[in-house]
Amino acid sequence: MPRVSLDAIAPDFSLPDFNGDLVSLSDFRGRKNVLLVFNRTFA
Amino acid sequence: MAQLRDDYSQFVDRDVEVVVVGPEDAAAFSKYWKAESLPFVGIPDPTYGVLKLYGQEINLFKLGRMPAQVLIDRAGVARFVHYGHSMQDIPKNDEVLALADEINSSQRPSA
Repeated sequence: MPRVSLDAIAPDFSLPDFNGDLVSLSDFRGRKNVLLVFNRTFA
Repeated sequence: MAQLRDDYSQFVDRDVEVVVVGPEDAAAFSKYWKAESLPFVGIPDPTYGVLKLYGQEINLFKLGRMPAQVLIDRAGVARFVHYGHSMQDIPKNDEVLALADEINSSQRPSA
C-alpha cells in the first residue's frame, strides 16, 4: 500500500466536506500548514 | 478527536488547519461534529479515495483502521508522517505543535 514520504510533496486531493463545500489540499498551499488526520471510525 | 479539539486554538496560533478524513458519510460526520462541537474541517471519504491515496492501513480482521497523521507545510511538503500501529498509537499534540513551531520558524508565510 502506498504511503506518504517524509519531505515529499503530499498528494493533492479535492473532496466536499460534510457541508458540501469542496476542499482541496492545494487550497492551503502558500497560506497555512495542514494537519491531516486519519482516525478510527466515530462509532 | 477530543484532544485535537481541546488543543485546537494552539494549532490555530501556529497557522495549522486541522483536516480530518474518514470513511463515514456526510450525515455521520455532521452528527458527530455537532455532538462533539468540533471546530475543524471534516471530509467524508466513503469511497476511500483519499484514505487509499495516503495509504491508511485498513485492518479487515479488526474491522477498524489504524490512525495516521500527516503534517504538511505551506509549500505542500509532508514534514511529519505518522502511521499508527494500533488504535491508540496517535502522536501527542505537543509533539505535532513543536514540529509546527519548527516549520514556522524556518518558513514564514509570504507577506
